[in-house]
Amino acid sequence: MYEKLVDIIVNYVEVKKENIKPESRFMEDLGFTSFDFMSMLGEIEEALDVEIDQEQAADIRTVQEAADYLSTLV
Amino acid sequence: MVELRSTIHELLEKAAESYGTQDAFRYKVKVADESGKKETKIESKTYSQLKEDSDHFKAAIEELGEQGKHIAIIGATSYSWVVAYYGIVNGGSVAVPLDANLPAEDLCELLDRADVTTLVYDELKADVAVMAAEKCPKLKHIVAMEAESKVANAEYMWKLIEKSAPAGGYVPVPEDLATIMFTSGTTGKSKGVMLTHRNLAENATALDMGYEPGMVVMSVLPVHHAYCLSMDILKGASIGAIVCINDSLLRVAKNIKLFEPNMILMVPLMVETLAKKLEEAALVPAPIIKAKVFGKQFHTICSGGAYLNPAYISMFKKYGITILQGYGMTENAPVISTNTNDAFKAGSIGKCMPNCEVKIVDEELWVKGSSVMQGYYKMPDETAETLEDGWLKTGDLGYIDEDGFLFLTGRKKNLIITPNGENVSPEEIENKLGENRLIQEVLVRDSEGVIEAEIFPDLEYVKKKKIKDVQAQLQDIIDEYNKTAPLYKRIFKLKVRDVEFEKNTTKKIKRF
Repeated sequence: MYEKLVDIIVNYVEVKKENIKPESRFMEDLGFTSFDFMSMLGEIEEALDVEIDQEQAADIRTVQEAADYLSTLV
Repeated sequence: MVELRSTIHELLEKAAESYGTQDAFRYKVKVADESGKKETKIESKTYSQLKEDSDHFKAAIEELGEQGKHIAIIGATSYSWVVAYYGIVNGGSVAVPLDANLPAEDLCELLDRADVTTLVYDELKADVAVMAAEKCPKLKHIVAMEAESKVANAEYMWKLIEKSAPAGGYVPVPEDLATIMFTSGTTGKSKGVMLTHRNLAENATALDMGYEPGMVVMSVLPVHHAYCLSMDILKGASIGAIVCINDSLLRVAKNIKLFEPNMILMVPLMVETLAKKLEEAALVPAPIIKAKVFGKQFHTICSGGAYLNPAYISMFKKYGITILQGYGMTENAPVISTNTNDAFKAGSIGKCMPNCEVKIVDEELWVKGSSVMQGYYKMPDETAETLEDGWLKTGDLGYIDEDGFLFLTGRKKNLIITPNGENVSPEEIENKLGENRLIQEVLVRDSEGVIEAEIFPDLEYVKKKKIKDVQAQLQDIIDEYNKTAPLYKRIFKLKVRDVEFEKNTTKKIKRF
């Protein structure tokens, strides 16, 4: 899940894959805007055919947290 | 041709007369098939149905004895939300739309300050309804938009609608107060902007943008904001648009494919993200990418709420999409100026609305006209500071060019306008952070589109408590604050100072 997520992240922000760490925070460290983040989750939702809860998604801060949350859905 | 309407009642009445059998709203519903598997379907409601449902809700409010009172609505955009809104205002009551993302305590405070006696809520905000029932003594009725309510004593909106008997009832006049909308103030306390029927209805109908009935609009912005309420819902009804409700910001791309809109009202933040989607496959011909991301039928984005880099306008043009940048504020119900297909200048915020006039006083834009608010609810001092002889002082600096186009150059007040159009009071956050002993002085500001806090720690306290890593401790304080703050008020950058801030003669920190 983590690797898949990193592949998608680089489509949204100009960060090299090797610079993305599990503890990287989407907005503070990777430069995501809130809407970038929402759109990315929407893309993942379609790709994995899962349903993401917007309220829960709002609490996600780091790449690892996102990967963990997504793993619970599939 | 769009005719000027001076009450929301008249606006909906004419919409039902002219476009009665046409869809007014389309939205997704989940229904279980024979095997119990849930499927998403599109449900629709016509303008006649909308009128009928809202007339019934208007009657239900009268039967509750709440006609003319203040009625809050908390929830995301939904058909029920819109029915509730029209039912409230068209019966001469005052709608108070509130931001569902605010913490329950803040919402209760707003309910109390706005003298709300009935609360209409979405089940996702059941916690607010529960707390309000306990803590808001003025509250008499709680109405749930969904059948399954977790709140004791809540009445179900659609049951009230079903059993009510509409029989004319009160017909509002243009000067009646229709809505109180809360907006961030510069003093830290949010202010209730009082808007009449004339303010809202004329703002929505004064300008003919040349759109035809049946145009499909997808509504993605929060409906408690004046921009969405006026442009998507009210203007939509006046031109006979089909408004499709986007159920989640997560699913904008998916819903564009589903609803196939012609136009979307956006804030710059969304334009920026969608620009990345278009440029992701820069080698593929523009029409193909555009068809993939927006569909062939899509042609217009109206952008407002915050500054949009004009580079996006030319970039989207390549894909056959027109971005019409506009400008407004809740205090003007809200649109002040906008570009149109016929009057367009990139980098400008367009020409002034036909029902408004604009002048420049010491570089600041002042607005006068039929959309200017009546004042801030129960805040005479703030009202007097903002309104002068019928002129609304916008707090924005700008100029008018020789062709009558408006341009913005900056802000006079401290308000932070985030790229998603939310207004954030730096003082509100500063006051909250300042409660912490470790923080002696703090300044909150915008830094490249995100909120930054610059802090001068209390060095005595650091010594006394033998704090080794001040930066880390301050970050903990910020993280703690961020946990309860709505997304748009969160702090994403921390700067620590080793000297005090420079002060002006009144001992206030110099902001700039």
